Amino acid sequence: MPLSSVTGRPVVSGKVRGDILFSSEAISFLGGVNPKTGIVIARNHNLEGKSIKDTILVFPHGKGSTVGSYVLYSLVKNNVAPKAIINRIGDPVVVVGAIIGEIPMLIDVDIDLLHDGMTVEVDADQGIIKILD
Amino acid sequence: MFLTAEEERILDGEEGYARQLAMKIVVKLGEIFSADKLIPITAAHISGASYKTIGDAPIEFLEDLVNNGARACVKATLNPVGFDLQDYKNWSLSKTVIEKQKYIISLYEKLSIEPILSCTPYLLENFRLSLGDHIAFSESSACVYTNSVIGARTNREGGPSALASAIIGKTANYGLHITEMRQPKLLVEVENPPKEYAEFGMLGTYVGRLARDNIPIFQGIRNATNNQLKYLGAGLASTGMVAMFHMLGITPEAKEIDVKEYSEKITVSQDELNNELNKLSTTDNIPDLIFIGCPHCSLQELQEIAAYLRNKKVRTDLKLWVCTSQEIKKSAQQEVEAIENSGAKVICDTCIVVAYLEQLGIKTMMTSSAKAANYTPHFCDIAAVMNTVQGCLDTATTKLKDI
Repeated sequence: MPLSSVTGRPVVSGKVRGDILFSSEAISFLGGVNPKTGIVIARNHNLEGKSIKDTILVFPHGKGSTVGSYVLYSLVKNNVAPKAIINRIGDPVVVVGAIIGEIPMLIDVDIDLLHDGMTVEVDADQGIIKILD
Repeated sequence: MFLTAEEERILDGEEGYARQLAMKIVVKLGEIFSADKLIPITAAHISGASYKTIGDAPIEFLEDLVNNGARACVKATLNPVGFDLQDYKNWSLSKTVIEKQKYIISLYEKLSIEPILSCTPYLLENFRLSLGDHIAFSESSACVYTNSVIGARTNREGGPSALASAIIGKTANYGLHITEMRQPKLLVEVENPPKEYAEFGMLGTYVGRLARDNIPIFQGIRNATNNQLKYLGAGLASTGMVAMFHMLGITPEAKEIDVKEYSEKITVSQDELNNELNKLSTTDNIPDLIFIGCPHCSLQELQEIAAYLRNKKVRTDLKLWVCTSQEIKKSAQQEVEAIENSGAKVICDTCIVVAYLEQLGIKTMMTSSAKAANYTPHFCDIAAVMNTVQGCLDTATTKLKDI
């Protein structure tokens, strides 16, 4: 039985299970994430040095250049993309990136209910995040 | 959101992967912003072209679109790139940079995006926009200009969403495509009307910071040319999320507006503009580059600069660059000759914000563009000195001993 669940609005569908990498700060993908390695390179960012590969990446929203959408596409092509993206606010940069990279994505999520390291099952068809552990 | 049978077919992939992907982008953004339907656009302008700014990120995506037969189905144009394609031999660029930049342009060309490599598509001869046209523009200064000065309608698109709209010829009906959303929220009373391009730009950067994403309406400016409004809009968009402004008695949609209805009001005096000049100037050093043309110069601006520079010489210890589009440069051969005879350079295809300037050893730039002064210290690590066009040209042509 899941401990509890959190809901959101589906943007890109898909069902995945994984561990949350949580960022309290917005992420700029262009210049902030290395598209070849999936490692956050933004200076002084709370995820600096961490890999977003295969994570359930939870952050408030995107920021920065709209070219950031293409970085998400490259991350997928290089097999270093997150398994799913969970945002509080849907902003065009990340939304477009998730669409073209086919990364399951939910927006309008109360991300304060989620924490770093939680194991979750994201059902982006139904808009439900089940907290497993 | 309502979709026609044809739009549904495209979304289901019946016209192939590329059109399906483009439709998905436009529809999803429409859903997020509560659009009721899609609407046809007449033109698109696409940013994300300079290899210096975008790197390799879009290459695979653009290749996939090309390989799946995507084409723009409306008039579509491309923003500036990292260097002047006709004149980069002295820029010390690596072979990789040159090849990758040219490759990116070729991918856009295969998508039927015209490589005008300019941020001012609206100045070009065969790019006529009309009041009420729906378009999808992704260069922020061009967004503001087309919305405000022409009265065409666009949201502040990103490069990818403008590209998607170009491919399906549609955008989602929300934001500035809707008449009620084009109403101003902030009244700006201007005490000392700006005269010089630089002053219009600084009014823009100052008000942009306060307006954030609200539409300002300016009161107190009796006369303004389209060139001046271009600098105002570029300034507004560079410090705020402003995508449109109105100016009483001047811009086409300001006629219907009753300013008494607006409770939120700011007053801009000469003091604020003087402070803005100091704020945008990050150094007192003598510049090694003087730059005019952000956004790209119009024909009239080239004429004004040429008139000043005729029979004058630019100091040999600095560069004077005037940026414009290839088309305007071609149409102004006499002016270009007068400008270049002085030792200045007319540069196309690029702009100070997205060009490979570091390789040229430039440390300090003087400019008449508030947008450029606002961006270059962050984007290029180049200190900025804000000045009027006259001040820029005076500095460029003053003999060393006179400074």
